[in-house]
Amino acid sequence: MALQVYTASLLKEGLVAYLTLENGNPSWTPDIRLATAGTDSELEALKLAAEQSELENHVVAPYAIDVLETEAGYIASTKREQIRASGPTIRLPQDAVRASRKAA
Amino acid sequence: MDSYIKDRKAEGDEWMPFTGLEESSSLPTGDIYVPLEEWLKSRESLLERNGRLGVALSNTDDPALIKDDLDRLDLVVLEFPKMADGRAFSQARLLRERYGFKGEIRATGDVLYDQLFYMQRCGINGFELRNDQDVSNSLKAFDEMTVTYQPASDEEFPIWRRED
Amino acid sequence: MYQYSEQDHQLLLERVAQFRGQVERRLKGDLSEEEFKHQRLRNGLYLQLHAYMLRVAIPYGLLSSDQMRTLAHIARKYDKGYGHFSTRQNIQYNWPKLEDVPDILDDLAKVEMHAIQTSGNCIRNTTSDPLAGVARDEVEDPRPYCELIRQWSTFHPEFNFLPRKFKIAVSGAIHDRAAVAVHDIGLRLIKNDGGETGFEVLVGGGLGRTPMIGKTIRSFLPKQDMLTYLEAILRVYNQLGRRDNLYKARIKILVHETGEEKFRELVEAEWEKIKTSGLFIRDEDFAWIKGFFKDPEYENLLDQDGNYENLLLSNLDFARWADKNIELHKQSGYRIVYLSLKTAHQPPGDVTADQMDAIADLADKYSLGQIRTTHRQNLVLSDVKLKDLPALWEELAALDLATPNYNHVTDIISCPGLDYCALATARSIPISQAITARFDDYDYVNDLGDVSINISGCINACGHHHVANIGILGVNKKGTEVYQLTLGGSAREDAAIGKIIGPAFEADEIVDAIDKVLSVYLENREDPEETFLTTYRRVGQPLFKERLYG
Ligand code: HEM
Ligand code: SF4
Repeated sequence: MALQVYTASLLKEGLVAYLTLENGNPSWTPDIRLATAGTDSELEALKLAAEQSELENHVVAPYAIDVLETEAGYIASTKREQIRASGPTIRLPQDAVRASRKAA
Repeated sequence: MDSYIKDRKAEGDEWMPFTGLEESSSLPTGDIYVPLEEWLKSRESLLERNGRLGVALSNTDDPALIKDDLDRLDLVVLEFPKMADGRAFSQARLLRERYGFKGEIRATGDVLYDQLFYMQRCGINGFELRNDQDVSNSLKAFDEMTVTYQPASDEEFPIWRRED
Repeated sequence: MYQYSEQDHQLLLERVAQFRGQVERRLKGDLSEEEFKHQRLRNGLYLQLHAYMLRVAIPYGLLSSDQMRTLAHIARKYDKGYGHFSTRQNIQYNWPKLEDVPDILDDLAKVEMHAIQTSGNCIRNTTSDPLAGVARDEVEDPRPYCELIRQWSTFHPEFNFLPRKFKIAVSGAIHDRAAVAVHDIGLRLIKNDGGETGFEVLVGGGLGRTPMIGKTIRSFLPKQDMLTYLEAILRVYNQLGRRDNLYKARIKILVHETGEEKFRELVEAEWEKIKTSGLFIRDEDFAWIKGFFKDPEYENLLDQDGNYENLLLSNLDFARWADKNIELHKQSGYRIVYLSLKTAHQPPGDVTADQMDAIADLADKYSLGQIRTTHRQNLVLSDVKLKDLPALWEELAALDLATPNYNHVTDIISCPGLDYCALATARSIPISQAITARFDDYDYVNDLGDVSINISGCINACGHHHVANIGILGVNKKGTEVYQLTLGGSAREDAAIGKIIGPAFEADEIVDAIDKVLSVYLENREDPEETFLTTYRRVGQPLFKERLYG
């Protein structure tokens, strides 16, 4: 079974977050590389913790995603989740305008 | 039913639902309401009772089917099987505005705080709130908004045609 | 434009207070996400791929300069300094925090704006012709009708929980710049033989996974009956529209499954019963609402200007811009100016807060303080004096808003796609940027003439790909983004759904594919006046297919 981590959106901010579980204590990080990954039975604990966070109105709609382990840490295995993890793949307009001014 | 609102007040509910499966001899005395199908079938015997009568429509029933009976009915029960299903809003308006029903129109099912305002505007005046809803808090929902633009059961004219 | 009454203001304040309450209940945990979702969606608040997204209504695409400044302020204070103008003439913010949304709505309410019914299964913001009131081909100004529809549909108690979302568009001109044929209801202002104004009523248009062109269910509806007729259509839909399957819930499916004739009978029968109700529009109602949209006091100007004409001859950039981005105005000495939001480095429709502020200033200085948003994700200054064009152009060029490409190949409609959207199956903005980069040559753009490219990042078709001359749909094929081409669509008065040409292309092939499609056109057109669409309709798919796959 593939290695998975739990992800969700933070209720207040709406931002993407990943679940870390240290000694049974859950917390949510924006950095997928810091997420706690698991398979099978470990995943069950992650699932419970994620659902608990949802019940406590900390996050919205948690779900598990497949990740790959690389030298730089975990990366999501689908394009969608990679974009979710690292943000839009295009330059945001503010930056784009600045860059085009510089070039001109 | 303790989470019941009638005419913007928390009330006790005096009505008993009747499914049509009971023996008619074992029917409770007092006010009962029956599903449309049962009404169409046993109308005559039901009308012989002393108590008040109501009919429950499912939200696919055409209210025109009971339009001629409305002066003998005191209650029409409408259903909101889930919040997103708004068919009964149209039924309520038709009952009130087109067929002139004067009795109680009651919303049942997923009856939640945030719909009460709209329901009331469509002529619904009885509310069986979903069990998790807080009655006294829900009473606030009726006055959250005071401005209305379009005609409905509570206003004959759009805002631009009203005398103020 | 329409001026809010005290009651209109009151309504917004109450609505903000209500939403503030809903947000508080959600944050405290008194509302579940499932229940809150219905409420936030009624207020244009989605949960997207990276963050919440707030959609703010711009009723029929009309903005005052102060409203534009507020949009800039919101972008700066609560977001990342930009906003996205959508094909439905609204604006979307991509990064607001839930906790901030009530404050954003408060700021909006101060300038008579809101996010009411910008999503959810209710009647959405009514869209219209961005040239309303100034176009030369206008039968009648659609804005007063749009405003009546806005008021009628706002918090309509009966139609707030429809089977699915409901979009209405109104056009008042010969040329359709509002894509009325692909809306749930499209209204076309026309005159009958007796010279009376009324509407052709189209129902059941829409895109998504089952694209359909609206059917004319009434060829002439007297204008007085507009609202009673809309109410009749909506009532039939609310009762009979399918609720068992999300993908079959739009009114287009009801019309299709019921049959046009039967559907018309149902509507007419319902309408008979309510046509004299309080929603009947009287002459005095029209007089009142039209009062808000009177012509400004135009100056009496000659339709020529020496300075302008000199610059046309001496400055090539100016001449190109004037050729592409300016339209004749009904008033002598005035012009309509398109502000292009399509450059190679900014996503289509995106505008920074600084640009918004500057546009607001330009509107004050040159265009009676108003701005319009367009269905093709551009902006319009509608009342610019001919003699001000040179100065305006200079300022627009400095703001990067003067790309001469209106209705040309680089004027691409694109939805946010997988860069932002939780429903996306592929990215669309990078594709639009790659196409723009490839064809960013004035002579080529000019030679291609009038052609539209639209891109959607999934089958929901927010980028209107079905009705583009060249449509691009991003799909996910076994984990990679691939792009399907449709040809021959149109969103105008000759509305048509494009046809899929063949197997999809990889991201790095799609620009070449577009290039081939364009060359087939250039090689086969009868003369430079023949547009892409006309050529395509004349020669059909085979030539294109052969070049792409042969
Ligand atoms: C980013 C969040 C968005 C979400 C979640 C979203 C969702 C959807 C969905 C689910 C549909 C299909 C509806 C159906 O077939 O019944 C749709 C259609 C549409 N959306 Fe969006 N959309 C988003 C953004 C946009 C944007 C940015 C625009 C404008 C550029 C837009 C304009 C439209 C239009 C014009 C349609 C087609 C109308 C039709 O189906 O008849 N949407 N959208
Ligand atoms: S078309 Fe699909 S990807 Fe694009 S905005 Fe709409 S839902 Fe998102």
